[in-house]
Amino acid sequence: MDVIEYILTYITPYIAVIALLGGVAYQAYRWRQKSPVAAHLSLYPRPESRLGRLGDALVDMFTMKGLFTVNKLLWVGGFIMHLGLLLLILGHIRVVTDFYFLWDWLNWGEAETHTFSAVAGTGAGLLFMIPLFYLFFRRFGGKIKILSTPEDYFVLVLLVGIAITGMHMRLVSEVEQHPMRVFMQGLYKFDWQPLPESAGLSFIWHFALVQLLMIYFPFGKLMHTIGSVFNKMVMRS
Amino acid sequence: MLERFVETIRGRFSRPMQYYGDICVRCGACADACHFYAASKDPSHIPAERMMLVKQAIQGANDSGRSLVDWYREVQGNDAAMAAKLEKALWDCTGCRRCAVYCPFDLDTGLLVGAGRYAMLQEEIGPEMIAEIGDAEVSKGEIIDFIKDFYVEQTMELEARLKEEFHPDIRVPVENKGAEALYVPLVGEAAIIPAAKIFHAAGVEWSLSLYTATNHSYFVGDGAKAKAAANWIVQEALDLGVKAIVYPECGHASRTLFNYFEGWFGDEIAGLERVNIVPLTYEYLKEGRIKVRPDVFDTALTYHDSCSLGRSSGMYEEPRELIHAVATNYREMTPNRALNWCCGGGGGLIAAAEDKFEMRMQGGLPKVQQIRTTGAEWVITACENCKTQLEDLNEHFELGVEIKGVIDLIADALIV
Repeated sequence: MDVIEYILTYITPYIAVIALLGGVAYQAYRWRQKSPVAAHLSLYPRPESRLGRLGDALVDMFTMKGLFTVNKLLWVGGFIMHLGLLLLILGHIRVVTDFYFLWDWLNWGEAETHTFSAVAGTGAGLLFMIPLFYLFFRRFGGKIKILSTPEDYFVLVLLVGIAITGMHMRLVSEVEQHPMRVFMQGLYKFDWQPLPESAGLSFIWHFALVQLLMIYFPFGKLMHTIGSVFNKMVMRS
Repeated sequence: MLERFVETIRGRFSRPMQYYGDICVRCGACADACHFYAASKDPSHIPAERMMLVKQAIQGANDSGRSLVDWYREVQGNDAAMAAKLEKALWDCTGCRRCAVYCPFDLDTGLLVGAGRYAMLQEEIGPEMIAEIGDAEVSKGEIIDFIKDFYVEQTMELEARLKEEFHPDIRVPVENKGAEALYVPLVGEAAIIPAAKIFHAAGVEWSLSLYTATNHSYFVGDGAKAKAAANWIVQEALDLGVKAIVYPECGHASRTLFNYFEGWFGDEIAGLERVNIVPLTYEYLKEGRIKVRPDVFDTALTYHDSCSLGRSSGMYEEPRELIHAVATNYREMTPNRALNWCCGGGGGLIAAAEDKFEMRMQGGLPKVQQIRTTGAEWVITACENCKTQLEDLNEHFELGVEIKGVIDLIADALIV
């Protein structure tokens, strides 16, 4: 057990980061190998000016307004899940540093920030996790079942796993935040620190699943994160 | 199987096609967009499945479909069943791009289908008729001197008839050097007559092209031939020194004019305006160059947005403005504009004749429903392909409507 824990906390994190960055770079290179379409693929209506079209693509990206028009239920699921994910990623910045200026400005002490982070973290976790169950179970019926490939289930199970272990850390094992920051900073400063006492099995699982997600990210559908931005511009050119 | 398909489509992948298969999340939103899926519930018609099938065929070229990786990617090996699914996915599609509007990432299945069709023809799968018509359009320019005299003779007959029926000064000029506009018609006189009347009423010096606007090579994803066919028209326009190329009520051809010509011809056509007859007629009306008897039609009528003209070229308001100028009882279809249902006959399927008739009728079901709901007696549209399909639907489902072009309405209401 200790060996596995050691590997997962001190070795594979580096492999995951390299795989993520290298994989994304490789995919971008692979896409760029092909020449762009020498035609306008625009869908209308579209804004007239170039800046307007860029703005429209960004608004569509952040609000999913196109999907909202045609499929409200899927929009609710997809939008809220991504919103929760965005909030969680922002919140995880506190794992390596802190929003000192924000707390100073709000005049919050240790206790207030702790309460805020507990409430907001749990809230964002639920925003992320509940839609994931909807997105998962809708794949078991009708046309979506026919369309679904093993990858679709795998990615959703992986994300649910990350969400559950994360919620467990927040609500059950109550991992302490400050010692965790010391440990994480040690990883990127190459000044390795021991795992905090409070980090239990849920942390190991959470950490390992996130690494798996990072390694898998460039090689599957998760690349829509990057590709959809490109394509929204192509379809407005 | 499918070796030539895989080799060809791999070579013809553009950048978007390269990432489509990577980033599609199979959310299934596109399924609700497709008229073929709505009517048949055949999973090969779900746009995302069309994409997946192409991806799986490419991977299946090397893999048997028996390993764990193949299971994960749903690669089944390229057998006859796969070829049949692919045929359906790539040919039973009108390239209307309604699914691209539904897609949260705007992925354009139509683009992939174009390349896929070309690759399928290398396997001799699919209606070769469409490609053959495309070839005829390409070679027409080489034999134009032999057929010109006959063509001119026909236009003179038409002109004589119009002088009698419409106005003694109306002209149908061919190879009119220094004309303002080169009007490119379709096969037959139906697309020429209303345009001739409108040009006459507007007092525009025009010239009737020796060619037709239709471009069937475009339907089968053959960019080189599509360009070669369009090149005859561009050269004619440059020879005559016209200011503008005017395309008729034809969806796919207008889409090439607006969205492909720049990539094909670049600087060569820099000084040439490229317009469709419908917005041009609206411009004439706005500027007062033509006058119509207002509100002459009180028949209940509706407008069908052609996919190529609407979604792909942004021509939504001009035809509606023209209809409003002459008709009083207008009814909008629901949904309309960007979300309008395809007529079910686009993408060159009309040219495939009997092969695709049954499928066209099935794919037209959402459209039939839409027309019935409006209660309109006339269905107005600005695309020849849509018109032919709507005529067929009208007969097949006994809709009891009349199909008319936008400029037909205007030509019938002209004050000269």
